[in-house]
Amino acid sequence: MNDMRLIDRATDMTDVKIAARGVQVFYGDTHAIKDVDVDIQDKTVTAFIGPSGCGKSTFLRCLNRMNDTIDSARVEGDIRIDGEDIYDRRVDPVQLRAKVGMVFQKPNPFPKSIYDNVAYGPKIHGLAKNRTDLDDIVERSLRRAALWDEAKDRLQEPGTGLSGGQQQRLCIARAVATEPEVLLMDEPCSALDPIATSQVEELIDELRANYSVVIVTHSMQQAARVSQKTAFFHLGNLVEYGETGQIFTNPQDSRTESYITGRIG
Amino acid sequence: MTDMTAPAAPADAPRKGSLLEQDARTKRRNAAEKRFEVYGIIAVGIGVLALIALLTSILVNGLGAFQQTFLNVEVEFAEDRLDKNGNRDPADLAKVSTFGYKPLIEGALIATVDRLGLRPDGMSDGDIGAMVSNEAAAQLRNRVLADPDVIGTTHTVRILANARIDGYLKDRVDRASAELDGNVTPQQLELTDRLQAAGVLDKAFNWDFITAPDASENRPEASGLGVAILGSLYMMLVVLCLALPIGVAASIYLEEFAPKNRWTDLIEVNISNLAAVPSIVFGILGLAIFINFAGLPQSAPIVGGLVLTLMTLPTIIIATRASLKSVPPSIREAALGVGASKMQTVFHHVLPLAAPGILTGTIIGLAQALGETAPLLLIGMVAFVREYPDAPPEGFFDPASALPVQVYNWTQRADPAFVERASGAIIVLLIFLVAMNALAVFLRRRFERRW
Repeated sequence: MNDMRLIDRATDMTDVKIAARGVQVFYGDTHAIKDVDVDIQDKTVTAFIGPSGCGKSTFLRCLNRMNDTIDSARVEGDIRIDGEDIYDRRVDPVQLRAKVGMVFQKPNPFPKSIYDNVAYGPKIHGLAKNRTDLDDIVERSLRRAALWDEAKDRLQEPGTGLSGGQQQRLCIARAVATEPEVLLMDEPCSALDPIATSQVEELIDELRANYSVVIVTHSMQQAARVSQKTAFFHLGNLVEYGETGQIFTNPQDSRTESYITGRIG
Repeated sequence: MTDMTAPAAPADAPRKGSLLEQDARTKRRNAAEKRFEVYGIIAVGIGVLALIALLTSILVNGLGAFQQTFLNVEVEFAEDRLDKNGNRDPADLAKVSTFGYKPLIEGALIATVDRLGLRPDGMSDGDIGAMVSNEAAAQLRNRVLADPDVIGTTHTVRILANARIDGYLKDRVDRASAELDGNVTPQQLELTDRLQAAGVLDKAFNWDFITAPDASENRPEASGLGVAILGSLYMMLVVLCLALPIGVAASIYLEEFAPKNRWTDLIEVNISNLAAVPSIVFGILGLAIFINFAGLPQSAPIVGGLVLTLMTLPTIIIATRASLKSVPPSIREAALGVGASKMQTVFHHVLPLAAPGILTGTIIGLAQALGETAPLLLIGMVAFVREYPDAPPEGFFDPASALPVQVYNWTQRADPAFVERASGAIIVLLIFLVAMNALAVFLRRRFERRW
């Protein structure tokens, strides 16, 4: 971790991509997220850190309404992407998820070929007019996910046959293939070894040029390495949110300090 | 002696015991483990023995049914008996009943016996004629009706021997039992031996057992499974066409779409209950609803199929839900995450992964339905049916029998030849079941995907 670099790493973008106000999430009787306000900026990597069960994944899943698939989950408050309330009655979660892609903790490629894995999203959203278009999208997505060189000769082989790190990059390729504007990553490296992790981290940094990336991570080093903004969650509260450099070097809240120095969590 | 001297550790302090010998506790545990292993082997052994006993008894009793005794006799299709007017008019030919043919065959056999000089001392013509099956006259008549040109010619025809003669060749009848049996005499058995030696009489594989319809009480040698197999096949078609789509649709809805609330819990419990309902109850239901209320015909495969569908549905639903549940949620999340709708998620990803399990469950359900007897008894499938049902879909409404019901039917009859037939039918039924289960295993192996 290079502290100098961290401090210098101020974001020059100030466009707010996602604005959340007063977000509350309940699972049955459990109050999982308590009154969270956060502004996520465009073309920025935002890291959510915090101890297990603090609600960071839950909050992430609010951003593309994946919590809708859980019967007992209830979301209150206001989340706007580009000023549009994503919990509005008129919003179709399917359309939203095409705009807000997601990469999961465990690499979960479909048990289909590498090509079909990447082509699936564009196919169902009608992004490709013909086969050549689709081939282009697949190639572009795999290149963006830094998987093209390894996968170009085996596109018809099953995606499940790749190594863990390759599978995760395949999932990233699949997510970017639908041309999202926001990419949500839920602990994308927790199932990967250090080499695969560093590959994915490099990738995340490159993705920042085109997307607003939100990453949930258990590893504070990872948050420090890849993000420009960091949010610290604790027991369902957003404790502190700010520039990554500032959070890691000069936390304002004693809980944040305890966590990043390893005293809690 | 100084105060400093610490008491030395006693040299004979008990050690924990050598690792080379087991202590009592370990011995007891190992003995218990051994005992349990023996119990397990005994349990498996009992099962295997029971299976072997069952199969042997069925095979010993039933294999005979696939062979039949035939007589090869030269029969003159005498014109003066079969077509008195000599014009080959089908209407006239049809007027001659089997009684008109019987003397022809019996005469032909007697002539053959005498030509070869095989007649035992003092055996009457009537006894010789009685060795021919009652069915033989009908066989001959059908041949003439199908091809009137044979009239006036002489042909060697292959006709069925009587069930007792057949039984003699299969060791079911012997001379001692023939003394006590009103239907067969020791002389006939003697003649059977001589005819067999002369090559007139032989035992051969009997396709008619599989293709022919059932026959009446006194001609077991002619009875076959044709109508029963067709009936079972039609019922399975009905079950497959109804139970698979309904069952799969219900499971997908319950598993993937339905909200989890008191109503779905209630439905779930009741599906499990339905799976445990005795099958005869479904028979009563079928009788009350499909026959008495809806007015569908009795003994029809459509009714049997509907009843068996009701019976199979819970099995299919339970199997399908289990295989849908076994698809990892990460696949659903992945699909939803790229913006697939719920239905796309289910049909593009979940269902293909669950398909092997669904197919297996369906085939097991079908196999269960194929062997089911009780509900069919109540909807009139026990009827004696000699007419083949038509081709589907009309055939679904024609009377038919079913394999297990045919077994039940035959075991009810007096002639011991039917016991052999029943065991033979069980063999056919078992072959179908084993084939279906093998198909289920094959499909599961073939389409199983790992992730």
